[in-house]
Amino acid sequence: MSLKMNKQFQDMDQFWSVELIGDVDIQTSGRLKDELNQLLDQRESNINIDCASLSYIDSTGLGVLIGVLKRVKKNENEILISNAQQNIIKLLTITGLDKIFVMK
Amino acid sequence: MKDCISLTLPTKSEYVSVARLTASVVANNMGFDIESIEDIKVAVGEACNNAVLHGACQTEFDISFTVEHSEFVVDVLDCGNGFSIDSYNEPDLMNPGENGLGIFIMKSLMDDVTVESKVGNGTKIRMVKRLVV
Repeated sequence: MSLKMNKQFQDMDQFWSVELIGDVDIQTSGRLKDELNQLLDQRESNINIDCASLSYIDSTGLGVLIGVLKRVKKNENEILISNAQQNIIKLLTITGLDKIFVMK
Repeated sequence: MKDCISLTLPTKSEYVSVARLTASVVANNMGFDIESIEDIKVAVGEACNNAVLHGACQTEFDISFTVEHSEFVVDVLDCGNGFSIDSYNEPDLMNPGENGLGIFIMKSLMDDVTVESKVGNGTKIRMVKRLVV
């Protein structure tokens, strides 16, 4: 089980593009938190999280996204979740998080 | 006929995936569909997260998978800090916090979930998923 992250700032549209590949779980969620906060330290902006290759997320990962969203919202930005697989959408829906993130 | 698979895992985050994958294999063998297997995998992961996060100085926790007819029963037992069930509140979904989603997710994905816990006496989580034939 591992997590790979591809991160890039999209100059044209002014947002962080973050592709998650693998699993966000108790083993990897701490690293996700650190890396997302480091991106925001560089530049506060919207974050677009591409979940096409995210196969698993648990409550520790969702907790990280909720924490980062609080920081992002303070700067009147959003977290966009795009291309999520059905199992990820199900988890976001039952926890109500599909209402607080922008789902694409 | 009743089959039981038991694991004793270190209370380290890198071993939670061992329990998740074992649960997936057993559920697949029973004939659960892909969505149910995903549900079981996530619920087992959450129960193990609880044992790892609140296992305190315990070095191991136990997990068992029992297959009996169409029932898949998962027991996760740790001897860690435990917590007061009375103090557990369901998360406010309109204003979610960074913690406290685990038990809610387990209850949402499994057919039955019981949590027995006492401060200082560890936690026992039993989850059941039934195969709909």
